[in-house]
Amino acid sequence: MSGDALEVRGLSVSYDATPALVDVDLAVAPGEMLALLGPSGSGKSTILHTVAGFIAPTAGEVWLGGERVATPGAGTPPEDRGIAMVFQNYALWPHLSALDTVAYPARRRGLRRALAREEAMVILERLHVSHLADRRPAELSGGEQQRVGLGRALARDAALYLFDEPTAHLDMHVRAVFVEELLTRLRDTGAAAMYATHDAEEALGVADRVVLLADGRVVQVGTPEEVYHRPVDLWAARLTGPASVVAGPNGPLLVRPGWARLEGRRTGRVVDVRFRGPHSDYLLQTDDGRLLVREPGTPRHARGEQVGWTLTDSWPLGGPAEATQASSSNVAGPE
Amino acid sequence: MGSSATGPPRLREPSLPAALLVGLTAVLVVLLPLAKMVRTAYTEGSGGFGAVLTRPGLGEAVGNSLLLSLAVTALAVPIGAALALTLRRPDLPGRTLLRVGVLLPVVVPDFVLAYSWLRAYGRAGFTDDLFGVGWEGISGPVGVTAVVAVNAVPVAYIVAAVGLAARAEPALERAARAAGAGALTVVRTVTLPLMRPALATAAMLVFVLTLGTFAIPLVLGSPAGFATVTTRIYANLARSSDPAAFVEAILLALLLVVVAVAVVAPADLLLGSRLRVTRTSTTDPGPTRSGSNRSGWWVTAAVTGYLLMAVVVPLVALMTTALTTAVGLPPVPENWTLRHFDAVLTVRNSEALSRSLMLAVAAASLLLLLGGCVAALERSRFGRATGTLVTLTFVLPGSTLAVGLLLTYGQWLGDTLLIILLAYLAKLWAFAHRPVSGALDRLPPDEFAAARVSGASVLDAIRTVVLRPLAPALLAAWLVCFLTALHEVTMSSLLYGPGNETLAVVVLNSAELGQVGQTAALSVLLTLMLLVPAGLCWWGIRRLEVRRTSGSSFEVIDVR
Repeated sequence: MSGDALEVRGLSVSYDATPALVDVDLAVAPGEMLALLGPSGSGKSTILHTVAGFIAPTAGEVWLGGERVATPGAGTPPEDRGIAMVFQNYALWPHLSALDTVAYPARRRGLRRALAREEAMVILERLHVSHLADRRPAELSGGEQQRVGLGRALARDAALYLFDEPTAHLDMHVRAVFVEELLTRLRDTGAAAMYATHDAEEALGVADRVVLLADGRVVQVGTPEEVYHRPVDLWAARLTGPASVVAGPNGPLLVRPGWARLEGRRTGRVVDVRFRGPHSDYLLQTDDGRLLVREPGTPRHARGEQVGWTLTDSWPLGGPAEATQASSSNVAGPE
Repeated sequence: MGSSATGPPRLREPSLPAALLVGLTAVLVVLLPLAKMVRTAYTEGSGGFGAVLTRPGLGEAVGNSLLLSLAVTALAVPIGAALALTLRRPDLPGRTLLRVGVLLPVVVPDFVLAYSWLRAYGRAGFTDDLFGVGWEGISGPVGVTAVVAVNAVPVAYIVAAVGLAARAEPALERAARAAGAGALTVVRTVTLPLMRPALATAAMLVFVLTLGTFAIPLVLGSPAGFATVTTRIYANLARSSDPAAFVEAILLALLLVVVAVAVVAPADLLLGSRLRVTRTSTTDPGPTRSGSNRSGWWVTAAVTGYLLMAVVVPLVALMTTALTTAVGLPPVPENWTLRHFDAVLTVRNSEALSRSLMLAVAAASLLLLLGGCVAALERSRFGRATGTLVTLTFVLPGSTLAVGLLLTYGQWLGDTLLIILLAYLAKLWAFAHRPVSGALDRLPPDEFAAARVSGASVLDAIRTVVLRPLAPALLAAWLVCFLTALHEVTMSSLLYGPGNETLAVVVLNSAELGQVGQTAALSVLLTLMLLVPAGLCWWGIRRLEVRRTSGSSFEVIDVR
């Protein structure tokens, strides 16, 4: 417990009368990457900004590296919490060059300008953007701006990194490259991190563990495999990826697109076919409900065709087995 | 530049009627009078410039004006910036009230403010009566500087606050805190640098406005022999029949323009493009809410103290002066009377009042039309410069415009209200143009395009999706013009003919005649007349405001 890089206990935050977070418990182990996954308005950013010290909790506590930094009455100022943050809108200062932006944290540590710039240059080189050192934010593309934002966070040399939807405003192709860079650099530092996103693929891909959030409450915590394979309910299943629900003998079953094959005794009609590149998606109308099946290669069946299918895997939804397997961590799920 | 290139909506090609209206007005009320002044100065002065320039007190007045402008800028801009920085804290106790209080001097006419300071802190004034503390220096350069500065603080505050809101997003400051900077370091390394263009603009504006300020030096400076360029122009035109005085007035008026343009031109060149930088991000979580709020109370106390000293006590003193039987009696209920109000409620004054209202309504309505035309024109291919030109009329000192108009139209319109109306149109054009243009800038261009592709013609689109979101800005522009016209004296006092005074001129004349109680009563009435429509319009503007959903979603943090 005390060894955690971050621990959040019973955290609630309200804006005036509107609750934004309700009794949230979280922990991030040293070196661990925890993803916060939820739709907009679910409280991801509120958690990050409370941990960073920009929002005071209405109830609960925030502990960083075994030290209590926030209670409803008092809080350590953000600059003394030893955290680093990457912002959704980059939050680059329009009056500073990329180099001075990355040198900023070192300057605040008291380093002389020349030394801070040297240090910043090394970071920019590591991020492959040293040629942009003299540019202002207005002269940088979105991907370049966010690299500078990442550089500024890395310059903090923090024990905990907070990522507030860092890829939300990036183009699809820039996004993957940026996330790759981020993970590599973060691994170099060995620091813990919390990564807010509304993109399920991103959350599952980057994190050691994923927290599912809805309306300011924790719905489920688990490894990416757990939340994908054993979601606590249909809402959690839909949040973490494509999901079909078919009637099973003991109640509704969750079926992920890869959990069924297009051969077998049971039959269905192809309602829709989509070619997705590496694979094709077939939407079947069966007696048990609509089923999405994903198979490699180009489409083999046309719309309207009758095909056979078999389930290779499934997960009972709403059954009695669900509650006990919901959460594998020490964090309590909702009732 | 890598920033997005979506500009304000381009409404249409320049329409001929709008272009004609704008062009004609510009020529008639600004360009022709200026040209006429230059010509007259040249022909009249060719023989005896030497005699004019050596007139006693001329150099001193010029020096006084420049020093006053410098001193007021040095005072008002830091105060305005500090207020803008402190009043944006969402957790500040009583923030809404303080914000309104800071803007209060905008509604109070400057001569009323000057007079109320005199009544509050001067000899035989409020503090003198109550505590025996009278400030001799209130009449004189120091008093003039203090009151002009108080009067200019709202301008500096507004410009600084707008600059803050536009450029210093909370995320930028949070990023600095997360990077290890303390609260004060953030202000030094991030917030103030981001405010720099706004502060430069504020300094420029305050300097130019102070250069043209007239009523405060007249009320507080003239009795002590402190003359500025503007009061000297007034003295030359209103009190002297010497031809040399007339030429001198023209030269001084031209000098004011030259200095004003010299101050503004480089600033506009330097800042024009930088101020227009638009930020890409759409939403933000609002400034930091810290846990404890002890410092908040100190800030509130400090701002309240300033407002009490600068505005509230003077206005209370004004009120008690209006109510107290005679000067020298303590302002206690036993000595209260409505005598002064009775004395000022004359037929002449009510005529002056109706003239003022008529002028203000006419000016505000015409100005809204003119301002709208310019805002539309500057968005077309050929009209871009019109916006800049109209903004420049704002820095033309009122005294200059009045002298020019008098020179050009005096022989035909000298005794009518029309010449005053022309002066208001020239002086307040920018007031009407800026809010409308600014609102158009903030109008997402896609909304207009969406209306067009939904089948609306240009006019239909303007009527259905542009005008409605613009309504608060239009009303605000009208209100600003109306209020400013109602308490304008710099030009009115030079232009009014016999039996044609506006109420503001009546107050000023009464102050000059030394009718203490009656001046106070008139000032109270005039201020109330400004407060009531201002309050009503304010309420209307709030009602009309359209809430926009923002482009990107930023969680619940922006739910307040």
